Amino acid sequence: MSTISLRAGFRLAGSGARARHLVLVVRILAGAMIAIFALTTPGFTSPLSVNALLNAISFIGCVAVGMTFITLTGNIMSLCLGATVSASALIFLASLSLGVAWAFLLAMLFGIVITAAQGMLVGYLRANPILVSIAGLSLLIGAAALATSGQRIYPGGAGLAMFKGRVVGIPVETIYFFATAAIGQCILSYTRLGRVMVMVGSNLRAAKAAGIDTAIVVTLAYAIAGACSAVSGVLLAARYGSGDMEIGAGYDYAAIAAVLVGGTGIQGGSGSVLRTTIGVTVVAIIEVVLLLRGFSQQLQYLITGLMVLAVIMLHSVGERR
Amino acid sequence: MKRAVTVLLGPTVRPLGIMAGTIVVLALIDRGTGYFLSLGTIFSVMQLFATLGLVALGLGLSMLVREFDLSVAGIVGLAGCVAVMTGAANPWLGVFLGVGTGVASGTLQGLIMTRLNLSSVGVTLGGLLTLQGITYVLTENKTISYPNLAVALKLNEPIVNLVSVRSVVAVAVFVVAALVMTWTRIGRDVIATGSDRRASRVAGLNTDRIIIGVFAASGASAALAGALLGLSLGAASPVALADVLAPAAAAAIVGGVSVGGGRGSPMGIAAGVLTLCILRSGLSAIGVEPYVHDLVTGTILAIIATVDAPDLAHRLTAWRLDRAERWQRQLAGNS
Repeated sequence: MSTISLRAGFRLAGSGARARHLVLVVRILAGAMIAIFALTTPGFTSPLSVNALLNAISFIGCVAVGMTFITLTGNIMSLCLGATVSASALIFLASLSLGVAWAFLLAMLFGIVITAAQGMLVGYLRANPILVSIAGLSLLIGAAALATSGQRIYPGGAGLAMFKGRVVGIPVETIYFFATAAIGQCILSYTRLGRVMVMVGSNLRAAKAAGIDTAIVVTLAYAIAGACSAVSGVLLAARYGSGDMEIGAGYDYAAIAAVLVGGTGIQGGSGSVLRTTIGVTVVAIIEVVLLLRGFSQQLQYLITGLMVLAVIMLHSVGERR
Repeated sequence: MKRAVTVLLGPTVRPLGIMAGTIVVLALIDRGTGYFLSLGTIFSVMQLFATLGLVALGLGLSMLVREFDLSVAGIVGLAGCVAVMTGAANPWLGVFLGVGTGVASGTLQGLIMTRLNLSSVGVTLGGLLTLQGITYVLTENKTISYPNLAVALKLNEPIVNLVSVRSVVAVAVFVVAALVMTWTRIGRDVIATGSDRRASRVAGLNTDRIIIGVFAASGASAALAGALLGLSLGAASPVALADVLAPAAAAAIVGGVSVGGGRGSPMGIAAGVLTLCILRSGLSAIGVEPYVHDLVTGTILAIIATVDAPDLAHRLTAWRLDRAERWQRQLAGNS
């Protein structure tokens, strides 16, 4: 039944600009429904649940912003970002003895170098992005086990307070996330690099023919993804006060789900950091609402999964080519 | 000569070469101690193959038609739970229902993709999350134990010290898949759909049916792996087995399946899976630390990704020409 009505929606969507308005209306309606559903949930606006919501958005959000750049430049997804989050958290904690600024810089540098190296393989040689990311994942996990011999890492110095707590009532993590997202969106909207990234994602050959060095563009997109993952790693390390390689496990899947829910096209060339931010928020709101309405953990997983599937289907009905 | 090289690097022969190379290197490292070159290693390789192989086959089939079935990871878990929960009295029924679940989920996702013209990554990612959710709901987030331990023992019992029922089933599925892909029209249609979908459609091929069929087969294959694994472990839980996706994708790509679609074969996938399994149980048989396995696997995957990269030759040539030109200029400057 729903398939039939969706098909009808598709035919309408194919018929031109009016259909595009229809899709927009459907999207606004869906957004309004989620908002009403959330606001009528008792306790949703309480400080505790707003806090939980903001935290959930921040950690996954940073990774999702990074993943947006990989998806946008036409490289589908990276299965390695979760491990990059964990590894940069470990680097940050281990190097805290050098001072918090150095530790932060080292973690960022590490994330950038690890991910940009994968980006170079993908950009310069057009290697398969998924295989490259799995190779990176294996190497990171192996190297981390070698370096830490499987032990938890505890902070080597003070300075974690900078990355947790709150400023004027807002969790610091959220401020870092919004700063990351804002920088990301500015790169996409207001720099030549950002616009070239969209072009590379939508048509690699055309971009090459236009004289763009596509290899360096892809490498930079990966570097940005690495930097974003490192930010998430630092925030997680500060929150938990210690770390191991499990700290960011599964973040890659959560991030790509947020990217797709936000409406960035998996084929590359269409999307934005803003959309991803909306995607992360929608998924987090659904999770918090389900929790507050007293659904069991199991049903929360199931309903979140179905919602993600539904939203992805909704988008593609509007954006088929 | 050139032709021979092409054949050697082709999608069916190269994975076998990589596998043979792995065996030779491990045997050389192991030299004389006999830990690696033993029947025990073959048995443990085949046990790993029974699970990873069928999942990689499913994922590889979807890559053949230029799609990417992320949901196989969810199907393995769900089918395992279904088989364990329904198969207490009759294991056949459990396996049947488990595989049925896989076929149903694959068909449904295939229908969504073809009817709505959606990309497989998005749909199967939603499918993966949904399947995981169903598994959590079914098991109520607990480990379900399987009372019929005789079945578990039977499934893992060594036959001639080499294989078990489970690995024989996996090998049989691969043989059937290889026969279908090589000798039937379906096989050629799948390759055609993966090589150029639009052209195949213009040529009168119902590509939607092929896609749905491939996803149903992919679901069935992953479900069979999950069901047999659940029964043979005598337990199923929702959290276990979540990390099968990365090794399965790696195995399929090592096995010569191209993400660009239309290239690859079940036998190649089998060789790719065996390579990873031989590495895992071979390295642990030799007695190295577990992290060496991750480092070695990562290095091999990185090398394969580099060698397979379409622009590698072009970049090398450009670099060589550049260097030659610089030399020439230098020579001209000196004289």
